[in-house]
Amino acid sequence: MKKGLVVSFLLIVCLVLSACNSFSSKDASSGSGTEGTSGGSKKSDDTLNLYFDNDIPDLNPIKTTDSISFSVLGNVMEGLYRLDENNKPVPAMAKSVKVSDDGLTYTFTLRDGIKWSNGEPVTAQDFVDGWLLGMNPQTSGSYRFILTDYIVNGEEYTNGKVKADKVGVEAPDDKTFIVHIKKPTPYFLGLTTFEKYYPVNKAFFEKNKDDFGQSPDKLLYNGPYVLTDFNPASGVTLKKNDQYWDKANVNIPNIDIKVIKEASTALNLYNGGQLDYVNLSSEDVNNYKDKPEFGTQTNFRSYYVQFNLGDSVLKNKSLRQALQLSYDPSTLEKVILNNGSKAASGLIPPGMEGVDGKSFRDLQGDVIKPDVAKAKDLWKEGIKELGKTPKLQLLVSDDTVEKDTATFLQSQWKKNLGIDVELVTKPYSGRLDTMRAGDYQMAISAWGADYNDPMTYMDLWVSPATPFRGSFSNKEYDQLIKDAKSQSDDTKRMNELLKTEQILLKDEAVLAPLYYQGQAYLQNPKVKGLVFHPWGNPWDYKYATMD
Amino acid sequence: MQKYILVRLFNIVATLFVISTLTFFLMKQLPGSPFDEEKLAALPDEVRTQIYDQYGLNAPVWHQYVNYLGNLLKGDMGLSFYYQDRPVSNIIVDRIGPSALLGIQALIIGTAVGLILGLIAAFKHNSMWDYITMLIAVLGISIPNFVFAALLQYFVGLKWGVLPIAYWESYQSTILPTIALAIGVVAVVARFTRNEMLEVLGQDYIMTAKAKGLSSRNIIIHHAVRNAMIPVLTVLGPVVVSLITGSLVIEQVFSIPGIGSLFVESIKVNDYSMIMGVTLLFSVLFVFMVLIIDLLYGLIDPRIRLAGGKEG
Repeated sequence: MKKGLVVSFLLIVCLVLSACNSFSSKDASSGSGTEGTSGGSKKSDDTLNLYFDNDIPDLNPIKTTDSISFSVLGNVMEGLYRLDENNKPVPAMAKSVKVSDDGLTYTFTLRDGIKWSNGEPVTAQDFVDGWLLGMNPQTSGSYRFILTDYIVNGEEYTNGKVKADKVGVEAPDDKTFIVHIKKPTPYFLGLTTFEKYYPVNKAFFEKNKDDFGQSPDKLLYNGPYVLTDFNPASGVTLKKNDQYWDKANVNIPNIDIKVIKEASTALNLYNGGQLDYVNLSSEDVNNYKDKPEFGTQTNFRSYYVQFNLGDSVLKNKSLRQALQLSYDPSTLEKVILNNGSKAASGLIPPGMEGVDGKSFRDLQGDVIKPDVAKAKDLWKEGIKELGKTPKLQLLVSDDTVEKDTATFLQSQWKKNLGIDVELVTKPYSGRLDTMRAGDYQMAISAWGADYNDPMTYMDLWVSPATPFRGSFSNKEYDQLIKDAKSQSDDTKRMNELLKTEQILLKDEAVLAPLYYQGQAYLQNPKVKGLVFHPWGNPWDYKYATMD
Repeated sequence: MQKYILVRLFNIVATLFVISTLTFFLMKQLPGSPFDEEKLAALPDEVRTQIYDQYGLNAPVWHQYVNYLGNLLKGDMGLSFYYQDRPVSNIIVDRIGPSALLGIQALIIGTAVGLILGLIAAFKHNSMWDYITMLIAVLGISIPNFVFAALLQYFVGLKWGVLPIAYWESYQSTILPTIALAIGVVAVVARFTRNEMLEVLGQDYIMTAKAKGLSSRNIIIHHAVRNAMIPVLTVLGPVVVSLITGSLVIEQVFSIPGIGSLFVESIKVNDYSMIMGVTLLFSVLFVFMVLIIDLLYGLIDPRIRLAGGKEG
């Protein structure tokens, strides 16, 4: 018995000792000397202190699928092009590109003096290898469609129907990289800024196959920064890459990014001077919105109500239109969300590329404007057509913001149409499953853009009809999308896409727009040029400066 | 004694088997998959099937379960889906340190402080001391520990700047989360100790001891406290479990890369292998905690003979 006690005591001591070693490496190295200073780590002048609101799950660029990992990779690696401060693609690893007249062949010429962090040159073959690994089902993940949708024979390669040498990527020499794409794609250069389009040093990859990207020494870097520390649960530290071709324009030497999941903790740290940027939750916005360091930004993510046309009630268009017109998204924006999100009058978020330097939203204007009087008429009409007053349910994910939005809709429909809509709450993946099974009438849904073009949205509702997209199928819509995909005249193409949004929202009332997702934040006034891209690799630190 | 422990160990293995089986099949009933659902929902069915195939998720569930058990017996807990391709065992080892340190510190401090407060309350029964101690206990039980955590963080961390607001960077960073975690333990232990002491102090044998002329110090240490400890020990089992689950919120508030948050996250993102790994770990901790407490009974009170063994 006594022996048992001694053993368990020793076990506890071992555990405690091992736990003490678990402190982040930064302090472990300087531990003995600086102990006793209060208030934790004091920030140094050459370090930008930031955070992510969730873990950094996977830094393997070939496989990863989440936007936090994309953000890290976007700063330590680089593709042929890179987004500038205004979200326009500018040459990066490539110094120039020649596009064939039919828009199907891109010939990139790589910059001189581009290197991996181990000193080896970045070659055209690295791009061939990186893209092939990104399409190979053995090495890639669920995001591979972003390559296979465009590259000639990409899908065939993934399905094992053709060998790698038939895929539309080639490297005739170290500096020339040629890509053959399936259809003219005006946003293709934008795609090459995305991390799935990054080069991979194959020799290094083969050597570290099993734990590629799992620690700083298991990845090679060709971007503005290199990774010096990485723990998925506590954060990353970045150091300026002295091999980077444009290092003269990288200003901040060190970046320390922590993982902080609790919004109030992040705000405390910001107020304590330990963070240079913090996202604000809607309840904090009113306290801070008059401060000079307050700001908002939107990303390319639209929220909407998806009507299920396969439902016996909502197959009636008048009812859908009545529901669509009987609430005001701007009330939702100001009263319910209050977090930088913007009221939606369409599907495509503001700022998304249109044509001739104009955004899609500017070209289209408002598609849906609330009109309660008209909604009431339509509702009566719909009920007459249906022959009875229907029962309605709204499916919603178990998430605070979505539930608040649903309650808002419920109250507006009650007030303006006099109907009781029941809310059905499910966990996020439960909502998706229910929608896939078609077992819903309407649901709050959202889509984040994969690239900067309206096609990333409009392509979702083409035939064949699926319950997930409301069982919508429309010949005119399909034809417009098909034409737009092979159209080489950009203005005509954009007109076709503008028409599809009209059909989807106004003519057929398949969706009811809610809001474009945004974020309210506070930023240290000394920090400038912290860029947030609304799609792709969101955070870009290359252009940041500190006074 | 050895035989008793062997039987208990066998029971533990059986319990763990039942837990893992139940968890596995229940978990597979969760809607969704471990992959980026929104993007996956947009892909054609064939592509989705292809991705599931890559991870063996299209096989029948019992088949997946047999595979899992087979690997588990070989000591392989599989690869995480969320932290792609990292072995579950490595992640658990990385994350257990902070949680273990916090849990043990909170348990030791909470029990010690709780005992002292409980004893004071019992001896100064119906006095000011008693009321203050019980007020603390009631507050400690009824106010959720994340509220304490947030208050400590705001005042001690931000306003007074005495201790770190968050992060896991030095020993100082463990102090606030430990206090936040320990408050609940203090409350439970103090209340139990007080009640048990009051009951024991009213027993005949205490009167007998007094009548024998033993010093009150002697009576308290050898007769009262020892007997009052047995029920207190019983609550320590649930307390340890609440430390594990409580640490999940505390870890989140103080941004500590511990195992509590891992458990919740893994369920949210359907990280099957991680859910299994963490559930098994928590179950192992719990059943062994129960065993240790049972063994401690015998140590504190020789009358409780576990299996009629000769040692004590």
